[in-house]
Amino acid sequence: MRGPALVAASIMLVVAAAAIAHSQETQPAPALAVDTATGLPEWEKVYAVFSHPRCANCHVDDNRPRWSGPEFPMAKVHGFNVQGGADGSGFGNPGLRCTTCHFATNSPMRHGPPGAESWHLAPPEMVWFGKSSAEICAQTKDPERNGDRTLEEIATHVRDDGLVGWGWDPGPGRQPAPGSAEQTFLAIQRWAAAGAPCP
Amino acid sequence: MRLTVNGNAIDIDADPDMPLLWALRDLAGVLGPKFGCGIAACGACTVHIDGTPVRSCALPVGEVDGDILTIDGLATDGKLHPVQQAWLEEQVAQCGYCQAGQIMSAVALLDEIANPTDEDIDNAMGGNLCRCGTYPRIRSAIKRAAALKTAGI
Repeated sequence: MRGPALVAASIMLVVAAAAIAHSQETQPAPALAVDTATGLPEWEKVYAVFSHPRCANCHVDDNRPRWSGPEFPMAKVHGFNVQGGADGSGFGNPGLRCTTCHFATNSPMRHGPPGAESWHLAPPEMVWFGKSSAEICAQTKDPERNGDRTLEEIATHVRDDGLVGWGWDPGPGRQPAPGSAEQTFLAIQRWAAAGAPCP
Repeated sequence: MRLTVNGNAIDIDADPDMPLLWALRDLAGVLGPKFGCGIAACGACTVHIDGTPVRSCALPVGEVDGDILTIDGLATDGKLHPVQQAWLEEQVAQCGYCQAGQIMSAVALLDEIANPTDEDIDNAMGGNLCRCGTYPRIRSAIKRAAALKTAGI
């Protein structure tokens, strides 16, 4: 008689275990502790870079890069009817690509075209121009709007990408982005470690 | 260094930072591309590198990686390129100074879009300035060139 009882007990255990496993699968992962006091000042360093004209001018949502910053009396769309491209590539239109004027290095001439490898617009979902700190923060954390990157991948992208790095070496007559690529990389890491709080 | 210009290999002795336009005009004797602004802001110096239009006044010759085509090499076997032919038929040029660059940008456009709309033309040609204001004739000529090219003329 012990046999059927053992089988029944085993079935109950299996069912209970399955219920627990199901419960664990459907529960959201426990949130990382968010250290706002540590994280927000780090985010503000990141925001100061992302919102700087050297970076934000090519993070637009209307396909038209900007000419803005302390060098300009007012923000303007890029001259010459320049656009990211009707094909959505970010590299310009047939007959007038970004690389028609923007080469691998900065022009030494004041008002000459700045340059870096692979000059192009950021995808429109990564819009920064005219956006608030809270909006850029939310975008940065959203894989659907940040190129499907983890925060660590964003940090290394900022540190290692040549076109991003141009923001700190923009050529004559242009104010560079604040800090450095390395400092921004570290700020993103510290912000992420603090739970990536947004304002 | 060696450049390939209009199918010809040309050896020049140039500082790598020299703008390509200088190398073409002063060292290689290729005089089609014109100096206008010197900062890639007018388009008069436009040439192609492997089919992509570039402003040769701002491109360091040391960065050139590919075959260069200037307006001097656009005609083949004495036959004008359809864009050149259309330029004549529409009598586009006024003073003509910007036309070498205009034509090279138009050629690049038609290489990618066979029958461009007005918007396609505006998007392609916005970086080529014409102080004579021949823009309506430029647009007409590009459409005529598209028809000539499609017809194989």
